[in-house]
Amino acid sequence: MKTKRYITLIATASILMLAGCNSLEQPPVNQFTDANYWTAERAQYMINTAYSQMYSASRMWEDESMSDNVINQRSTNNGGRLLQTGQANSDTDLFNNEWDSMYAGIKSCHTFLDNVQNIQMDANLLKRNIAEVQFIRCYLYFRLATLYGDVPYYEQDITSSVALETGKTPKNEIISAIRAKLEEIIPDLPSRDQLPKAENGRITKGAAVMLLARTYLYENDWTNVEKYTRMLIDEQSTYGTYSLFNSYRGLFEEANEYNQEVILDRSYIPNLNTWDQIQDMIPLSRNGRVSDRVPVQALVDSYLTLNGRAIDEAGSGYRADDPYKDRDPRLTATIIYDGYDWDANVNNWFEGKGKIQINPATSTTEDKYTGPNANTSATGYYIRKWYSPQDKGSASSGLNIIMMRYADVLLMYAEALNEQNKFDASAWDKTIKAIRQRAGFTNSYALDFPSGKSQAELREIIRNERRVELAIEGLRFFDIKRWDIGAKVFSGEVKGAWFTDKIGIVLKHVPERNYQWAIPQSEIDLNPNLKPQNPGY
Amino acid sequence: MPFLEGFLAIAFLLSNPVQTFASEPSAPSDIPAPQVPVKGTVVDINGEPLIGVGVLVKGTNTGAVTGLDGSFTVNASPDDILVFSSVGFVELELPASADLSRVVLEEDSELLDEVIVIGYGTTTRKSATGSVEAVRTELLENRPVANVTQALQGAAANVVIQRKSFNPNGESTNFNIRGISTTTDNTPLFVIDGLIADQSAFNNLNPNDIENLSVLKDAGTAAIYGSRSANGVILVTTKKGHKGDRSKVRFNALAGYNVPQFLFHATHGYENAVLTNLALTNSGNAPKFSQDQIRDLAANIDKENWLYYQLYEPALQQDYSASITGGSEKTSYMLSLGYHDQDSNYKSNPKFGAQRYNMRANITTEIGRLTITGIMAYTRNNQTQTTGSSIEINASRTPNYYYYKFKSDDGRYLVNDVVNDFSSLGQLESGSFNKYANNFLTASVNAEFKIIDGLKLRGLVGTDIIGNTRFTRNMPQVYWSSEEATVPRTVDDADYRTGNWNEDILRSNLQLLLDYNKTFGRHTVTGLVGATNESYTRTANEITKNYVDHELGIGTSKTTEANNTTGSTSMDTMSKTSITSILGRLGYNFDDRYYGEFSFRYDGSSKFAPKKRWGFFPSFAAGWRISQENFMENYRVNVGDLKLRGSWGILGNQSVGNYDRFTTYSVSGTSYGFDNTAVTTAGFKYGNEELTWEKTSTANVGIDAGFFKNSLKVTFDYFYKYTWDILMQPKTPGVLGTSMPRSNYGAMENRGWEITLNYNFKAGSTNHLINFNLADSKNRLVKFPGKEEILHGEELWVIRKEGLQWNAFYGYKYDGLFQSYEEIENSALPTGLTVHPGDVKRKDMNNDGVIDEQDRTVLGHAFPRFTFGLNYSFMWKGFDLSVFFQGVGKREQMIRGELVEPFHENYSYVIYKHQLNYWSPVNTGAYYPRLAAQGSDSDVNNWSKDWGTDLFIFDMKYIRLKNLAVGYTLPQKATRKIGMEKCRIYVNGQDLFTLCPTSFVDPETTEMGHNMNNNSGNSARNYPNIRYFGLGLDIEF
Repeated sequence: MKTKRYITLIATASILMLAGCNSLEQPPVNQFTDANYWTAERAQYMINTAYSQMYSASRMWEDESMSDNVINQRSTNNGGRLLQTGQANSDTDLFNNEWDSMYAGIKSCHTFLDNVQNIQMDANLLKRNIAEVQFIRCYLYFRLATLYGDVPYYEQDITSSVALETGKTPKNEIISAIRAKLEEIIPDLPSRDQLPKAENGRITKGAAVMLLARTYLYENDWTNVEKYTRMLIDEQSTYGTYSLFNSYRGLFEEANEYNQEVILDRSYIPNLNTWDQIQDMIPLSRNGRVSDRVPVQALVDSYLTLNGRAIDEAGSGYRADDPYKDRDPRLTATIIYDGYDWDANVNNWFEGKGKIQINPATSTTEDKYTGPNANTSATGYYIRKWYSPQDKGSASSGLNIIMMRYADVLLMYAEALNEQNKFDASAWDKTIKAIRQRAGFTNSYALDFPSGKSQAELREIIRNERRVELAIEGLRFFDIKRWDIGAKVFSGEVKGAWFTDKIGIVLKHVPERNYQWAIPQSEIDLNPNLKPQNPGY
Repeated sequence: MPFLEGFLAIAFLLSNPVQTFASEPSAPSDIPAPQVPVKGTVVDINGEPLIGVGVLVKGTNTGAVTGLDGSFTVNASPDDILVFSSVGFVELELPASADLSRVVLEEDSELLDEVIVIGYGTTTRKSATGSVEAVRTELLENRPVANVTQALQGAAANVVIQRKSFNPNGESTNFNIRGISTTTDNTPLFVIDGLIADQSAFNNLNPNDIENLSVLKDAGTAAIYGSRSANGVILVTTKKGHKGDRSKVRFNALAGYNVPQFLFHATHGYENAVLTNLALTNSGNAPKFSQDQIRDLAANIDKENWLYYQLYEPALQQDYSASITGGSEKTSYMLSLGYHDQDSNYKSNPKFGAQRYNMRANITTEIGRLTITGIMAYTRNNQTQTTGSSIEINASRTPNYYYYKFKSDDGRYLVNDVVNDFSSLGQLESGSFNKYANNFLTASVNAEFKIIDGLKLRGLVGTDIIGNTRFTRNMPQVYWSSEEATVPRTVDDADYRTGNWNEDILRSNLQLLLDYNKTFGRHTVTGLVGATNESYTRTANEITKNYVDHELGIGTSKTTEANNTTGSTSMDTMSKTSITSILGRLGYNFDDRYYGEFSFRYDGSSKFAPKKRWGFFPSFAAGWRISQENFMENYRVNVGDLKLRGSWGILGNQSVGNYDRFTTYSVSGTSYGFDNTAVTTAGFKYGNEELTWEKTSTANVGIDAGFFKNSLKVTFDYFYKYTWDILMQPKTPGVLGTSMPRSNYGAMENRGWEITLNYNFKAGSTNHLINFNLADSKNRLVKFPGKEEILHGEELWVIRKEGLQWNAFYGYKYDGLFQSYEEIENSALPTGLTVHPGDVKRKDMNNDGVIDEQDRTVLGHAFPRFTFGLNYSFMWKGFDLSVFFQGVGKREQMIRGELVEPFHENYSYVIYKHQLNYWSPVNTGAYYPRLAAQGSDSDVNNWSKDWGTDLFIFDMKYIRLKNLAVGYTLPQKATRKIGMEKCRIYVNGQDLFTLCPTSFVDPETTEMGHNMNNNSGNSARNYPNIRYFGLGLDIEF
């Protein structure tokens, strides 16, 4: 019978249909879940994530924006600019973004540390991995405490309810805890010399010692600064062999990454993992997009003349009508100015386009200064340091960002000795002279120990040397703070090169605000236990 | 289009007049009455013959169908009653003995028996108990629109469609039914021929293929779609042939031009320079232009040619479709082809634009008690578009100085000191392109088996197969800083990149339904029960090659070097979901007077953990057709129909990520490296095992009333929706280091109403049809984590606060401009800012003498309210006219950036003509503040994002003449001679004119997505509006 046949057909079809029903249990296939993630191999991935969250090019540039070396002419809401002009408040984006991203890094560290205990892996590797992650964690907490003062501090992973309630831990307790942890992990870390090439960029004993030295430096604890910098200078067989790289300019080139001066850097990979801030700091004629973060005249003025004298010092030979001639060669390696000889100072990119012409009286190029509200630089200066010839100033630079280098160790050491009134010719030769020689000074006035100078005069020399050697590396702000020179350096109108107009940005020092960030208002709104807000906000 | 010709040839053959409906074999011999052939002709009120009218001898299976001249012959005895019926006409009964030489059928204006498609079935207008609106397909056909969504604008009450861009390659619309009921996802559900689809499938339809488009708005109608129905359902059925219909071939053609309309204009070069100087000197800065330069600009005013205008040209749009429908005794069919081609208005190389090809075959056949319908539709979309970005803005922010040029005389692309790294025209003409192709195949087989009278078993197997591809080719763009330059300033896309991206989506759908429908005397019972499963699988893959051969675009040895070839495979992108459901409906109606209905759906979704997986969504609806009561007989006869109806139910929304219930770890290979070699990193995202559906309880009451003997029909509905368990992300402090997953937390209510009027009347030989709809909705946030949240959205904020509308604009209240220093001294000011007369004054909301964040207030809402559509059609003899207006009665929108602020942020260097009403000592009554240098205190006060006022809020109510068509249908007598049943030619225009208080942007411009979340971006930087003018042709054989 026909009907029967149909019914059989439909019944069969229905059974097939229901059997063919797709399962309602569909876990993701291109992501891991808690059920299958944690293995020895994949635990490494979490460490790598933590590395990527420790520091970044954007953090370096933001830090630099807070200093008196540069201004952000275009982005009026830039956190650094708001701090420079005394306009920052507790809603300033920078404070919030940095807070979130540092705690995100700490989260990765804690997630690793909490889960790695249950994984079977090589004991030595485990110890080293834990030491690396602890270092990153210490680095982030040190930065948090340095910027914000007292902050919530945890030793292990937390839940959201804990996060919503915990109050602040005093800064000094955090710093003590960091120091203890760093001392503890040094033995578990390899020295630079023990790193196979493939591990270039990993955390070493030297980095841990350097971080310890920095924690003391930021408190002006000179005995300990001396102690830890000495470990790096005098005990290189234990803590790694470091020395100045032979070329100052070359330090910031991709070809010389991981050289003997570098203690730790934030790794970038050409074409793959890149940063792009430089395109808004370089001349338009060299692939610049628009000018934003540009050097100011005060930084240019801090470079000595080739004979070792400040430009306003008698006998410096400084000529206001030819101001960039015979200056500290680091000026040319750091800043681009009117008449800059590109072909001679950048490795053959844009060859044939000639010099950088900025002065409006003579320039016929797109770099011609056209006033403060333009796509060209408001100060008449551009940034040279970190311009990677390989990347041609494009939106994707693979150049590593150096976080710690040996010249810094030498400068810290010099400063620590001078502050303890122990600075002498031999210490000078080891530090300032070596650094200046590497920079390209040959004049004996520049290289020889300036005998007869007072401690205060030497202090100025060392501080200025530190400023120019480490300019545009994100460190200046922290020096301004520990030297308490904010009132001096953040005052009055920002000035550009002699041919520029009034820029209209006025620097202002508000002591509490310039030196310490506000706890983000949104955090306090969520967790009243974070009160009181930092002073001044 | 040779294939069209072939198709037409076949169509001609098929349409040759053949007998298409044989009379049934004569009845068995036990029927006594003598039968004689009865002849006659059926015509409409205009006397035109009606073809295909069924003529049935009442109470028998004997009948006939009228032929081409309206004539019929049927065997009947003189006592018999003949029933004349045809879709769209009032059924007529006449004795066989009557004079049948001119049977006049009247068009059915009552539409009470109009069939309305509802979920898993159909109903009639008179018995509908829920809020379901059937869209008139006339509004969808023969419109120069890119897709059905565009055509639907204004066509149905509370179906709110905002067209955010006119770029054929950047179509972007917000689609909402009855407003905003949740914060997560307010997209309606789309169901096409019974298959759960999505908006892109909907837009893939050939508008001329649509037979029915129903909008299910309330729980009574939508609950049968359960967990995905909370935002309403758009239900589409495509055209089918009818059993016994003669073959009809239709051909429609439409061609016209889209002409760009520029809504804003730059000032003359010299004016721009003078005002630039004014802004600078107002703030104590040095002027930028010397008098010589200004004189030079003024002297060359006739050479000005603003870059922005140079990017566009009028562009051709063409639409063709052809279809053939018909049927024999057992089988009916509909075959159609469609072609849509809209060129981009960009001047570009290659030519940009979008094409769509449609092909559809709907075939139904009966095998005994089994009816099988097969549907197969294929759509191909091609798009070619720019790889460039910011095309509009980079041209429009460059001042109208005569020396700014896109190209040098020898054809090199120039950059300037405003846009110095690339040129909009250079990008468009570089030879670079993105080519998208989309293949969309939908196929389903629906079998219906009649078990006993009234009881049917239905099974459906359906699938959508979607393949999307993109091919990208980048060609270098060489830019020169001046006509004299000898070395290029920069070369973009020098890496000769090519790339392919492919996406494969499979949606499968299985349904098994038991359907019961039986009338016992005055009782009618309907029942439906069934089970369905749908699953969705998506994979995608991508490959990118750099440094390919310059000419051919194929790989070279350099392409094989490290990182020059990258990509992802299907495994990287795989996702899969599945949903199984049981559904049912039980309906009862007494005497077409009292109606009651219950429906439900029980859904289980793979998106939720087992214990939270299943959700139950019931609904109840009732109707009372008062006019059918005996005491209403007078009313029914003299006034018309009157029905009260109401429904209540719970609908769901499962707008949650496919895997949100899992804590997931995703790995990446490009986030870090050692020694310049990448290492794998892992990120993680917390999941929430407790996730479950959002629920929306929906109540609806409505009245359907007819007046003037049902020639005017009015429908009014009021609804209230309450949504709870809305998925919201709890706010977590940054200290946690990550975010918490969303959980079922929030609640929102939404209420509104809609009214539709249909008025159909004849006056003399003219026929008039008026359709009008007006609707409103308004939401209120009821429960929100932390009670409120204020988010900075560019220059203003949006506030989410319990008791307020979702994402209201929030900021400082503009209180005019300061007129004197004395006034400034006596006014509350933002801290730290020095202001001058002509600067913006803010209202001190809390009167504490200082302007701070406490003074911010609600400034408006971006969701359209009082949306309306008005269509008027007029027919006289062969002439027809159709006018379609559409608009919004109330809406505020934030617009930011250079179209609001002159010389915006040192980014735009232009002041536009609509910005000239700025304050100056001689124009103290101005609306806009005085010009000031960027970054100055005045500028920060007037325009900065930290101090945003409602100067950024614009009134976006509007009314638009959406479509105007004037046509003429050739007399049938004439067309018949060449074998044509119908031939209509018409002219039409679209978006012809708009009234809006804000002139410089399109009133549909919005930075808000369909959930009223700020999608950021800058909506003022849009492709220009386009206005369409064209010709059309409808032919039927």
